[in-house]
Amino acid sequence: MVEFDRSAFIQKFQEEATEYLQRLNEGVITLEGDPKNRELIEQMLRDAHTLKGSSRMVGLLDISDVAHRLEDIMVKIRDGEMEFDPSMSDAFFEALDAIVFLKDNAGTDVSGQLDVPGLLERLSAVAAGSAAGVDAGQPAAAEPPAEPAAEPVPAKPAVPEPEAASRPEQPVSAEEQAPGQKERASASQGPAEEKLQTRTQQTVRIRTEQVDRLLNLVSEVVIAQIKAEQHARDLRIAQALATDVYQTWRRVRASLSVEAEAVLAGIDDDLRMIDELVNDLRQRMTHMLKEYSDDVSRASTVVADLQEHSMAIRMLPVSTVFNAFPRAVRDLARQFKKDVELVMEGGDTELDKKVLEEINDPLIHIMRNAVDHGIEPVERRRELGKPEKGTIKLAARQEGDHIVIEISDDGAGIDPAAVKAAAIRKGYLTESEAKSMSDREATYLIFEAGFSTSPIITEISGRGVGMDVVREFIVDKLKGSLDVESEPGRGTTFRLTIPLTLAIIRALLVRVSGQVFAIPTSSIEETLRIDPAEVIKVEGREVIRRQRRTIPLVHLRDVLGLEASEDAEAGKLPVVTIGFSGHRMGFLVDAFVGEQQIVIKTLGSHLKHVDNVAGVTILGAGEVVPILNVPDLMANARRMTGRAGGRTAVKREKDQGPRRVLICEDSFTTRELERSIFEAAGYVVETATDGAAGLAKLREGLKVDAVVTDVQMPNMTGFELTRAIKGDETLKEIPVIIVTSLEREEEKAEGIEAGADAYITKSVFNQDTLLDTVERLIR
Amino acid sequence: MEERKAMPSADGLGLDEQVRRILRERAESLAQADWVEEVAETRRLLLFRLGEETYAVGVEDVREIVSGFAVTRIPCVPSHVLGVINVRGEIVSVIDLAAVLNAQQGAARAPGGDDGSGIIVRSDDVTGMLVVDEIGDIIEVPAASVEPPLSSLDRAHAETVSGTVYWEGRLIAVVNLARILQPVGERA
Repeated sequence: MVEFDRSAFIQKFQEEATEYLQRLNEGVITLEGDPKNRELIEQMLRDAHTLKGSSRMVGLLDISDVAHRLEDIMVKIRDGEMEFDPSMSDAFFEALDAIVFLKDNAGTDVSGQLDVPGLLERLSAVAAGSAAGVDAGQPAAAEPPAEPAAEPVPAKPAVPEPEAASRPEQPVSAEEQAPGQKERASASQGPAEEKLQTRTQQTVRIRTEQVDRLLNLVSEVVIAQIKAEQHARDLRIAQALATDVYQTWRRVRASLSVEAEAVLAGIDDDLRMIDELVNDLRQRMTHMLKEYSDDVSRASTVVADLQEHSMAIRMLPVSTVFNAFPRAVRDLARQFKKDVELVMEGGDTELDKKVLEEINDPLIHIMRNAVDHGIEPVERRRELGKPEKGTIKLAARQEGDHIVIEISDDGAGIDPAAVKAAAIRKGYLTESEAKSMSDREATYLIFEAGFSTSPIITEISGRGVGMDVVREFIVDKLKGSLDVESEPGRGTTFRLTIPLTLAIIRALLVRVSGQVFAIPTSSIEETLRIDPAEVIKVEGREVIRRQRRTIPLVHLRDVLGLEASEDAEAGKLPVVTIGFSGHRMGFLVDAFVGEQQIVIKTLGSHLKHVDNVAGVTILGAGEVVPILNVPDLMANARRMTGRAGGRTAVKREKDQGPRRVLICEDSFTTRELERSIFEAAGYVVETATDGAAGLAKLREGLKVDAVVTDVQMPNMTGFELTRAIKGDETLKEIPVIIVTSLEREEEKAEGIEAGADAYITKSVFNQDTLLDTVERLIR
Repeated sequence: MEERKAMPSADGLGLDEQVRRILRERAESLAQADWVEEVAETRRLLLFRLGEETYAVGVEDVREIVSGFAVTRIPCVPSHVLGVINVRGEIVSVIDLAAVLNAQQGAARAPGGDDGSGIIVRSDDVTGMLVVDEIGDIIEVPAASVEPPLSSLDRAHAETVSGTVYWEGRLIAVVNLARILQPVGERA
């Protein structure tokens, strides 16, 4: 399985690891002067061991492997099998730097930048006592001598270990080599030679942090440039004024009659002076405008280049992400017992590294859906006369300043009727609404929050946290859009359009409560000025009619929790209509300020996430303007207008206090892990060490909103517990979520048969999956 | 070897004497290093006033001091966050320290207000600006004299203070930046 979201744990690990790495680094230096410091050796051993363990926990297997090698070396030093030798320091530092690098880039594929297998071999050589391992001249070091270590270290894993095979960070390089080839290459040339080769490459490795800092400064320059352009425009206006004054003056002067001249004779000198001054002013202004405009336009070319080139620093080909997909799709196909081939195109299309980092998960999600729902089983395809092997095509290309990524499958397509039926069942639509809905509109229902056509929730699909989350993510984080086209029986195409870079977008600036806010133009359908008389009140809600559709209206200031301001424009009301996930909403603002390109900045290191606010931008005058987060706005606005699906959940929290969950789990670690996850999310947690104990608690009258249970437990299994709960009149309404290491289809079937509401396997277990599932079920 | 022999004679010193001199110098430098270390065991604190009270923050955590700043309000943030400012292109949160410390100095600052002075501080990777009423001196106190917060403080208050120190007859609380700069909206 490709890991999906361990980010929360990874962050913890990163914090923890920083400390250990720092200590290990210091330790190496101290050991150089004091190679027999027993206490230090033991501490370093412990640190390396902890690093190994915790990196494995969060799925950073490369780090785990490197730490493992360090541990091996430390064990030998401790046991007196070898002595720390300053010549080992280089290998140690290389290893520690590599861990730092891997840690900082956790979750992204860095195999193009870091040669982990080579490093592991060098470390193994050190562990084997071969000082030559760090000597760059001897290819012989590639063959580590027989391993006396307790845990043999595979120097050339011709057959990758299962974990190694499942990690997403597969070796990726320009020539797209198979892992086997790479091994062979290193075996014949030796790691030392490989190291030399990378040294001669004409590249410099820069920390992304440094690049970001550079980009930060560049964006400041861009802002200054925008400001300068504004000044040039102001100057042009001033120059036009000066010209007007001059011309008016000339006319006045010319029309002065002879008699008037006589009257004005007394101030003749002054008049001549004005004449000169006005002329001079006009000429100077014209000259200055020309000079300044030239300067600005010259600078603007340079700044544009500077921006483009500095952005290019972060550009990477999409293949760095794509190359892990054939493997992922193959795994998925096997899991669903389908036969699927992945065809990829446009792998060399380049994308901002930040976008690239974010794009992996949504793409995996879409492909998962394609394998699960799209591609039919082999027998079915045969019956339909389709090729037995299904095809998923992943194509990337650049269109203007956007990148378009299409994921198409030749599967069953989305059946509008089935989608409508499910939507009616879930209460998103009424029968009559469904009837008047076009097939195309129905297709878009899959982006509805919590939508699913599947009867049981598994971690793969049917959880209803699929496409809505993906779409929200793409709109929110990547400022792009996600569209779907489907032809029943022929297949489905998802089209992802994302800006080339996350740094600059077009935005509409609006004023609300005396403050300016930016709304990304990509989500705006239209801007209107409506007559107050056009506002219709329906059931206490304000709506407007547009093109035969009813659009709910909401004050943006209410969504943002701002006080009303007095300076709101009288007369026509400015409204921004936003379309998102098939909904339209009109936001009333106080005034439109303008539309322009803005540079996106985060809210800084302190405000990690703020509801409704995606970031800020700095306008020409140095003014900081918050950029609004469209998915948040829509969700909150819908809640306010009383149409949101989440409404009941919110109410429930208020009415009934914290939600309760019962965890039945015999493993202490898992139980405590689950407990901490739920408690962090504000739940009250009850626990039981097996199914029988759990059931007893429930029968004694313990009120919970959900039961989370393991399968294999003493006394009563999770399946038995589920059956007991579902067979009990007073308990059967409680949702049961099975969390298990059993992954076989038959077991899942047993879970469904027992009446479980959700089924999550531990191999892909993470807190978001668990919390999302539970939250969805107890609404 | 020849060169080494030549050196003492050039100095006019015998080998023994030279060794002794080197040893003496070493001893002296070692003694000095020890002494320096002892003196280095002090903490430098930046004092500031908040209402009637004087507080302190470790100088090593202070990045810069700002006066006269334009705060941009950000909607939907906790009330102790007054907004953000632009520090040479970097966006920095503005934190109403009085609101965090619950200082008994009356009403918290008006949101978006730009009165007071700002201390830009850094803890781990988080940067923020604390709004205070007045910036004071930098003092140097023995590290050992910074004691844990008074046990009489209530827990919420105690968390925001990392230690206390007596200075010129006053009890000064050293604020706990790790707590005050805890990121907002971070997923646990």
